[in-house]
Amino acid sequence: MRNRKAMVGLGAIAGVVLLWFALTRWFGIIPIGRFPTPGEFWDALKQIELRGFAGSRLHAHALHSLRLIVISFLVAVATGIPLGLLMGWNRRAEALINPVFMLIRPIPPLAWIPLAILWLGLGDAAKVMVIWFAAFVPSVINAHAGVRNIDRSMIEAARMMGTPPHRLVMEVIVPAAMPMIFTGLRLSLQASWTTLVAAELVGALVGVGFVLNVAQQDIFPAMILVGMLTVGVLGWFTTYVLGLVERRVLAWSVQGRA
Amino acid sequence: MGAIRFDNVGKVFGRANSGFAALEAVDLDIREREFVAIVGPSGCGKTTCLRMVAGFESVSSGRVLVNDRVVKAPGSDRAVVFQQFALFPWKTVRQNIEFGLRNKRTPRDERNELVDDVLKLMTLESHRDAYPHQLSGGMQQRVAIARAYVLDPDVLLMDEPFGALDAQTRVVMQEELVRLARINPRTVLFITHAVEEAVYLADRVAIMSRRPGTIKEVIDVKTVRTSEDWDGFEKIEDVMDLESFVHLRTRIWKSLREEKVAVDG
Amino acid sequence: MEERPLYLTSTLLYGFAGLVVFFGVWFVLPTTGLVPVQFLPSPITVAERVATLTTNRFAGATLPAHIAYSFTRFISGFALAALIGIPLGLLMGWFRIVDEIAGPIFDGLRFIAPIAWVPFAALWFGTGIGGPIMIIFAGAFPPCVINAYRGARQVDPRLIEAAEMLGTSDMRMMTNILLPASVPSIVAGLRVAAGLGWQSLVGAELIVASTGVGFMMVQAQANVATSTVMSGMVAIGIVGLLIDIILRWGEAAIRRRRGLNA
Repeated sequence: MRNRKAMVGLGAIAGVVLLWFALTRWFGIIPIGRFPTPGEFWDALKQIELRGFAGSRLHAHALHSLRLIVISFLVAVATGIPLGLLMGWNRRAEALINPVFMLIRPIPPLAWIPLAILWLGLGDAAKVMVIWFAAFVPSVINAHAGVRNIDRSMIEAARMMGTPPHRLVMEVIVPAAMPMIFTGLRLSLQASWTTLVAAELVGALVGVGFVLNVAQQDIFPAMILVGMLTVGVLGWFTTYVLGLVERRVLAWSVQGRA
Repeated sequence: MGAIRFDNVGKVFGRANSGFAALEAVDLDIREREFVAIVGPSGCGKTTCLRMVAGFESVSSGRVLVNDRVVKAPGSDRAVVFQQFALFPWKTVRQNIEFGLRNKRTPRDERNELVDDVLKLMTLESHRDAYPHQLSGGMQQRVAIARAYVLDPDVLLMDEPFGALDAQTRVVMQEELVRLARINPRTVLFITHAVEEAVYLADRVAIMSRRPGTIKEVIDVKTVRTSEDWDGFEKIEDVMDLESFVHLRTRIWKSLREEKVAVDG
Repeated sequence: MEERPLYLTSTLLYGFAGLVVFFGVWFVLPTTGLVPVQFLPSPITVAERVATLTTNRFAGATLPAHIAYSFTRFISGFALAALIGIPLGLLMGWFRIVDEIAGPIFDGLRFIAPIAWVPFAALWFGTGIGGPIMIIFAGAFPPCVINAYRGARQVDPRLIEAAEMLGTSDMRMMTNILLPASVPSIVAGLRVAAGLGWQSLVGAELIVASTGVGFMMVQAQANVATSTVMSGMVAIGIVGLLIDIILRWGEAAIRRRRGLNA
């Protein structure tokens, strides 16, 4: 069963590559200059990694973007989860914060990019600000919902055992909300990448989005493809790492085991 | 230790004037080490009674006393066994049982000893490192009972503890509970809607009327149990065959039926 | 949780207090000169700017006109994503072979942020209407596929068995059983898709467009017209919220009719 699935999947991907060759090279159905041939792609990849493009080599661009994502994501999570937990736990805090939150929430993170550039310029600070914003909102919402959805008898069980407040928070509330929190983290991570790429496309000096930006201005389709695939690989990698963390943290849950 | 007293207790949900009355003039005295079951039609407020003893729910009028003190908040002197177990899924069996002891700051050696004892008592030794979701319903409820017992509470509050179990498991657990009550007697307040379970387990059975709930009748089982020597039988079905058992069961049934008819009518 | 729910009056009071603090700080910072007005115009300045922009042009059009451009693009891209994504998702759910072929390709593409398609979109379809539509499509397509797929996979097998027992033909099985059973999940997906599509559009307009709210904002940024940037944010937020409210309403209506709790 598994084998068959893997075979068909590999076949499908091989088919796409074959189609790529066929369309761009052998039959020339896709006009030259619209999409790179595999050979052009390979040359572009060699060029950016060996000689550099848009000011740096590929791994430098990739590491720069990755670093920005990791830093901003961690900051957003470290601020968003506690706020969500507080709003879930304390009705007064919820009543106080929720209206302001609801007011800001409909503005998509990408719409903050011009403002971030006005405030902080084209450097890293502006990127951190918009990614923080993109990742912050899902963290808050899911931590909030996670606490709200805790089975009431779980809290009562803790109370009947005379649990002091700090243990109640650290050993009951936080773990009980954890599956929801991780759902939020996955959304946060996705939003982070979208926002970073957009921010770098709008204005940057280094990063994968900047590679895309320069490649677009140079009308260099092969380099555009290199940039896109780098974005995909980085996105996949961070999602994979988050999945590893999740499986470790949620080892106790039915989903975590599966 | 462990006397419970309901003194003219009333409970209104919602606002005082516009809410609905769940309980009215509930009077009940439970002596130390007595096992009292409350039966009643669904929605009569029997669970609310238990929750007030636990301290989860406040009274609207009257008083609830445990050891002659008015109940104000939950505490580990009144351990609760929930219908849906309410184990912490992120903790192993051992960590679940240990949780309350760590709240009490019981020293580690003593804690380990207590946990080992109760694991043995509930025949859970081989599952000590399992997570709750890996256990069957019956096993999970054993853990929940162990978690309550290990706190050495004055009062054990059981809210339809076997309601979520299948019929076979249920019988085993009932026998187990009788065995525990013999080894280590406690004051128990047991909520159920299963009449046979109540008669089999309890010293006295309190019957509640429909909403607003009140104690309609309290039936003594202990006198019959002692004189007919129910505890001499190993198996529940042998007790359930006895004429004395059938007689008590039918009497409670009739009393409850009157309530149900009244609901329909 | 910890406490009983607050009374409605105290909820409103707290909420009001929160908003007062928010707008108060926003008002006080620029008016007292703690923050330069070019950086942070006060809420009143922004409101005035929004009012001015309804009649005065900025970046070639008034604000309502920019919104109209953006919204047209949004509707086209969103409709395209739904028309292609939902059937694909359903086919993947119903036929294993489609799932096995399209699944890995789809999974691979999913990790590329939709906004990364901007250069190709501009290259292939230009910066007028085609390019931005492709970006909305890239944003809205995955949720359409995923939710249609889930909907198709989670059809209650008893429904299928019941239909089989009644001698239902394959074609009727699809149109009368499988498709209707997937509708709640599909509608939920459309809502997610609309949200992602709308924000992808904004991103696309920031980078490659010559009209639309995003374009207006990026022009304003270049001119350090902060109040205009903020006016754009307000407009984007309101339109996004309206789209969400409409779809939420539709979703609730369908769930109610199915007897699912809304």
